Amino acid sequence: MAHALGNRPTRQSAREGFIGWLDYVVWQIERAFTLLSSLFIFGLMMIGVVQVFGRKLFDAPIFGYIDMVELAMTTFAFLAISYTERLGGHVRMELLVGKLKGRVQWAAEFASVIVALFVVAILIYYGWTHTVRAYEFGDSTIDAEYPMWPSKLVVPIAFSLLWIRLLVMAYGYARLFADPERTPIGVPVVGNVAEQAKAEAAEALGADAREGGR
Amino acid sequence: MELSNETLGILGFVGLLVLVVIGVRIYIAAAIVGLIGLIGMIGWDAGAGIVGTIPHSKSASYTLSVLPMFILIGYLAFHAGITDAVFDAARKWFGWMPGGLAVASVFATAGFAAVSGASTATAAVFSRVAIPEMLKSGYHPKLAAGVVAAGGTLATLIPPSAILVIYAIIVEESVGQLLLAGFIPGIVSALVYAGIIVVWSIIDPTIGRPIRGYTWGERVKSVPGTFPVLAVIVIIFSAVYYGWATPTEAGALGAFVVFVLALAKGMRWDNLKDALLETAKLTVMIFTLIWGVLIFVRFLGFTGVPAEFTEWITSLDYPPVVIMIFILLGYAILGMFMDAIGMMLLTLPVVYPAVIALGYDPIWFGIVVVKMAEVCLVTPPIGLNCFVVNAVRPDIPLTQVFRGVGPFVVADFITVGLFLAFPWIITWLPQQVLG
Amino acid sequence: QTVEGPKVSWKLSTWGNPRAFTKGIEHIAEVVKERTGGNFTIEIFYGEALSKARENLDGIKLGAFDAAQLCNFYHPGKNPAWMIFTMPFLPIGDWDVREKVTRAMYKHPAFIADMDGWNAMPYMSALLPQYEFLGRGEPPLKLSDWNGKRVRAGGGLGLAMEVLGATRTTVPATEVYTSMERGTVDAASFPYTYAHAAYKIPEVADWFTNNMSPGTSECGTVFSKTSYGKLPEQYKALLEDVLDEAYDVQVQAYIDIDKKNLPDFKAKLQEILYTPEQLAEFQKVAGTPVWDQWVAENQEKFDARGLLNDLLAEIEKAQKGS
Ligand code: NA
Ligand code: NA
Repeated sequence: MAHALGNRPTRQSAREGFIGWLDYVVWQIERAFTLLSSLFIFGLMMIGVVQVFGRKLFDAPIFGYIDMVELAMTTFAFLAISYTERLGGHVRMELLVGKLKGRVQWAAEFASVIVALFVVAILIYYGWTHTVRAYEFGDSTIDAEYPMWPSKLVVPIAFSLLWIRLLVMAYGYARLFADPERTPIGVPVVGNVAEQAKAEAAEALGADAREGGR
Repeated sequence: MELSNETLGILGFVGLLVLVVIGVRIYIAAAIVGLIGLIGMIGWDAGAGIVGTIPHSKSASYTLSVLPMFILIGYLAFHAGITDAVFDAARKWFGWMPGGLAVASVFATAGFAAVSGASTATAAVFSRVAIPEMLKSGYHPKLAAGVVAAGGTLATLIPPSAILVIYAIIVEESVGQLLLAGFIPGIVSALVYAGIIVVWSIIDPTIGRPIRGYTWGERVKSVPGTFPVLAVIVIIFSAVYYGWATPTEAGALGAFVVFVLALAKGMRWDNLKDALLETAKLTVMIFTLIWGVLIFVRFLGFTGVPAEFTEWITSLDYPPVVIMIFILLGYAILGMFMDAIGMMLLTLPVVYPAVIALGYDPIWFGIVVVKMAEVCLVTPPIGLNCFVVNAVRPDIPLTQVFRGVGPFVVADFITVGLFLAFPWIITWLPQQVLG
Repeated sequence: QTVEGPKVSWKLSTWGNPRAFTKGIEHIAEVVKERTGGNFTIEIFYGEALSKARENLDGIKLGAFDAAQLCNFYHPGKNPAWMIFTMPFLPIGDWDVREKVTRAMYKHPAFIADMDGWNAMPYMSALLPQYEFLGRGEPPLKLSDWNGKRVRAGGGLGLAMEVLGATRTTVPATEVYTSMERGTVDAASFPYTYAHAAYKIPEVADWFTNNMSPGTSECGTVFSKTSYGKLPEQYKALLEDVLDEAYDVQVQAYIDIDKKNLPDFKAKLQEILYTPEQLAEFQKVAGTPVWDQWVAENQEKFDARGLLNDLLAEIEKAQKGS
């Protein structure tokens, strides 16, 4: 598993040239998306509690609760995807890439991002047509018959932000490939297993143990 | 050249393997192979179109909504001070045994497992809580480190557990049954760990001495601190057992209880925000892995490979138990290199129907696979739990951590053997409740 | 082999395992293959291998496969006209009536129009049996006994039960067993006897209704219009020819299951049979008002009133014929 090391974009990194600025701007949108996603998770907890008590104590379950949850799920299934990509939080096998150094490493990372750009572009377009289909020909949830398209729309939106992030990362890796001596900016720094474990431990132990603030 | 569907499927697997090994993120690797495969089979518009429907259609399903709740419980539990309380009680109750503090660590991690679904997180927090105590009492560092790394793995068997939910969803079994099924095997695993420690400490008393001197009064007083854990266990267990709430609702209630406790313990807005952000991050990571891999699995579905594999396995002229052992060995090897969720998502669509055709119980297989995946968290070369312990305690060298978990890996194989020999350890409880 | 023609291989997307529900289409696949000497094959992909059940129409529209099964209640918004079969207390409990009416409705312009947007065309109904209730506790011997019961019922059926004073709950099918055993659900409606048995509900129930016919769902097989358009005429004719016997096979599959289940039900559970007067009252109190409400809500999407009238006319015609 790959996890974030301490190189989040900061106000300081934002001053490191165009890449730093770009990284930071996208990061702000990513943080907003992720906070929104967090709020939905918090809301899911609250609505679950209300549903249980409503049903048990007052015999008054929230009508369409399951449908509502299904519709809301795209927020926490997708909105934070770009944020997590920036932090190097999506799972991958580090066995080989963790051993690479210098130009070879940045070339491999760059190639990886190009593949991702292609896939995500397709997912945006066909996720969008999926939404349009649901809007034009009608698609609804099972019980409460809420329209499905707003939920489907979240997917291409989240993927669009991810695509922009991947573009910034491609730029970041290309910059490092050109000159491996530069400080990595705008890309997650992913180390070997031991370094990731350190990051993972820091996460579990809370913010106080995390290196490098925001 | 016209390729047969089976050839296409196998090529797909090879392509995926190559991409994963060279470090492409698994969701991207799986999606691109699935995409190219589908486009090759049914054309651009149909292939890419189908791929475009998968992220939404695989994510927006109510059953999966339990995941963020389970994850949130774990992140809040740390702020609710549950770790210290659980370890304190375990030490007072079990310290007198040979290797007592290590035994206490096992039961404390098992208790914490009831509020945490992540093995690495559990290992991390107990590295900080339990290891210093053990070292202070003169325990050998390899035992101290080993028990924490191994104990961490209990988090995925004992509910709440994200991995069990994902297994249930891939194979379309009741989430409730899987969660119930994890209880007893989790406890059995803990008991076998404890047994190994006791035996090890009797053979070599220098590695960890009993801690005596606690009065019954002290013991009793340590119990209330563990009530939050009991509350979460009771909520989740009774919800699935008595059916008064869906797993998501039970998870929400459990998270809420821990949330209130954390507030009472003085959790601040910053802590809450961090817990929520980390939950959002881990949640999106899991969902992304799910739909990404399922794009590949959709392609496999079009090739018909899963059905072919089932046919092949059932035509083999070996006793099912031999085939099962080979399958489990396969998982042990795969688990050395892959993350548990990714491994299950990738293999189950092919392996699961074959296992069922062999006559094995779906719930039983789920628990055994998860147990195997967890063993891999403490074995070289990338036993992540060991690295986590080493990261929190850099003073304990990695080689010593790996040496320390050795006996626990043996314990795990004993446990899996028990599951094979006595399947009812797993199936009894869910059958009791849900028929 | 009786039909000559080119090689055509179709993919059909469905969910679940082979079961009574899939018997009709399995029979079609078998006969078509046999009569064309293996030149025209319909391969059935079970277990959502090709698509999630709820997205089967999307798959058809995208051209990913040539045929698919669907259920109207999975996505009411995708097939508003097809929802008419969920209307409560339609007198279509008799197999013969049900088959005739459904086959007529599959040719109805409103049914065809619903599928048109998805590049699909209705082919054959799976003739899902009428729903009945299984329940625990006080048996609902008369209309007023339903008041206060917590029931699992969806669509028009759920609305009807609300009119009778019951509370609707939406429990996933796999959780009904536990919910009923633990008393959080008093009664659950499922296609009868077929699905009740599949979810083991009789083990925890005390009673069952046997002629309430509170509603049903419409599930069936649709073809991609593109794929169908490319078929040579003799294959199209063949698909039409095999329909009669496929429907026979389909109905027989449910009858066989009933033969197996019903004695069990009757031995273990209290059977509730309503009198014709009671059924007429059900229809009056909880049937017609829900139909009218449904018409009012859907009239702007299509001629819902006309569709309802056509359906009732078909029912009457079929009842006279049988
Ligand atoms: Na757990
Ligand atoms: Na490993």
